[in-house]
Amino acid sequence: MEQRAVMSETKIDERVIDACRQGDREAFRLLFETYKDRVFSIAVYSFNGDESAASDVAQQVFLKLMTSIGQFRGESAFATWLYRMVVNACLDERRKGKRFLSYGELTPMSRIEDRRPQEKQFARAELAESVKTAIAQLSPKLRMPILLKYMEGLSYQDMATVLECSQGTVASRLNRGHKELAKRLGHLKGQIGVGE
Amino acid sequence: MFARHVSKELSAYCNGELSADQSRHIAEHLLVCQQCRAEFEEIKLGVHLAGLLPTLSAPVSMWSELEARIDATSAAPAAAARPVSFWWNARVAAVAASLLIAVGIAVIWIYSRESRPFWVVAKLAGAPTIGNSAIHDEGRLALGEWLETDAASRAKIEVASIGQVEIDPNTRVRLLATKVTEHRLELARGRLSAYIWAPPRLFFVDTPSAVAADLGCAYTLEVDDVGAGLLRVTSGWVALQLHGRESMVPAGAACATRPVVGPGTPYFEDASASFREALTRVDFDSLQGKELDAVLEIILLQARQRDTLTLWHLLARVEGTARERVYDRLNVLAPQPQGVTREGILQLNEQMLQLWKDNLEKSWGGPGVLKKTWLKMWTGAVGKVKGIQEKR
Repeated sequence: MEQRAVMSETKIDERVIDACRQGDREAFRLLFETYKDRVFSIAVYSFNGDESAASDVAQQVFLKLMTSIGQFRGESAFATWLYRMVVNACLDERRKGKRFLSYGELTPMSRIEDRRPQEKQFARAELAESVKTAIAQLSPKLRMPILLKYMEGLSYQDMATVLECSQGTVASRLNRGHKELAKRLGHLKGQIGVGE
Repeated sequence: MFARHVSKELSAYCNGELSADQSRHIAEHLLVCQQCRAEFEEIKLGVHLAGLLPTLSAPVSMWSELEARIDATSAAPAAAARPVSFWWNARVAAVAASLLIAVGIAVIWIYSRESRPFWVVAKLAGAPTIGNSAIHDEGRLALGEWLETDAASRAKIEVASIGQVEIDPNTRVRLLATKVTEHRLELARGRLSAYIWAPPRLFFVDTPSAVAADLGCAYTLEVDDVGAGLLRVTSGWVALQLHGRESMVPAGAACATRPVVGPGTPYFEDASASFREALTRVDFDSLQGKELDAVLEIILLQARQRDTLTLWHLLARVEGTARERVYDRLNVLAPQPQGVTREGILQLNEQMLQLWKDNLEKSWGGPGVLKKTWLKMWTGAVGKVKGIQEKR
């Protein structure tokens, strides 16, 4: 997963970013295609599987990206800058309140799974489903570092930048997040073969 | 003893965020601190679970919807850049390019250091090969690749940051997995010597007749052309297992393995030749009746205090009167502690077997702190050994 993140970023170089600054629609499309799945995924998990709300927020993020890319000065990696925007958008949307469904009403995440024929293997899909549900139940403070680490492959330093906190806080939240996942899904230990 | 616990750093340790020295410090602490190791197991499970989280696919309609919103937005992105002069843009672009290149190099360097899917191999003698290519001074063993030595070659593998493995001549090994929570090598034939300073059950060697699970130790493991193996432990403990059959082998002891059967019964290497020969026959010759009685007699007569290691394992590997005889001899060498009964042991009561084993450990090499903690981690062993007996 980390490898995927690093490889995708290599497509987005300074020329693409500069073209986006100049309003080049094709460059922006390339940027969108590179990051759309990851931005959408973070939003989906942040909104308890509500794809509609996630899609809306993802579009808001890209719109904001398009209009504010001129402010990107390259002081951090582009992805770090983008994820900061994503995290803020998700938090803002949550603060606004009731745009997304509560956990009990959420769209079954299995519908998302249906679109992924490569993950049809039943046991694995079931396991992934359990993990997704458990992640959705984490508090936002614990969930976001997990998403940034395991979906985006960010380092602790980059996560600290994105989340505007210290690396120690990132480590602490990840510790708590990992423990919470283990506590909720400890009964699945045999299925994933840890330490065997 | 545990001046500073490492629980706060455990996620960073699992995520490969620490330097080699920091990682080694954590690994060493985990070896001796049960509290932190319990937390480590919990966090390791959480890391595994989080790693299963899939990236979802954005709806295909998202771009068209986004374009519509862009078109409807009066503020064009270019407007933000237009007032800025060409030379300012050029300077920003130059700085951004430099930073991006630097960040890119740093990301690639960090990625290759911390998450590298290969192990570094150093040539010790001759011309070891990885795939079809000979190693000069140093090579990289990537996932799935075979490292092979001929009669004149030897090599040394750096196992991530947790230890080293020396590969003897005429040996063939393959890298199966390397991640923070599991490092796994396959030994198809030949011999290797491992020295691992990681917490228990992070380093594994698959052979055709057993899987060797490191419990913080040094050992040699060899496999012949038909897949039979021999483990010799020089420090710490190693667990051997195959299809639920498991043997715990402490320092100074050895254990043979056979395809299909799995690990035999562990024994101390200073046992007599006839003791060891008889044990091999019990383990792998499917003896029954008088023949089994005669061979078992040799083992029971020659068993010393520390050979209770062998007798304790044998309890679950023989049945009926043979088990009764093993029990009686074991009870003479090391009388059963309070809470253990003859009936319970003959019925392979797990708690009683465990209780007796805890008492026997002292004669298996001293009640060192490390050994005690390693043994306590082996909580499932008794049940597994019992499972074997039921299959036989």
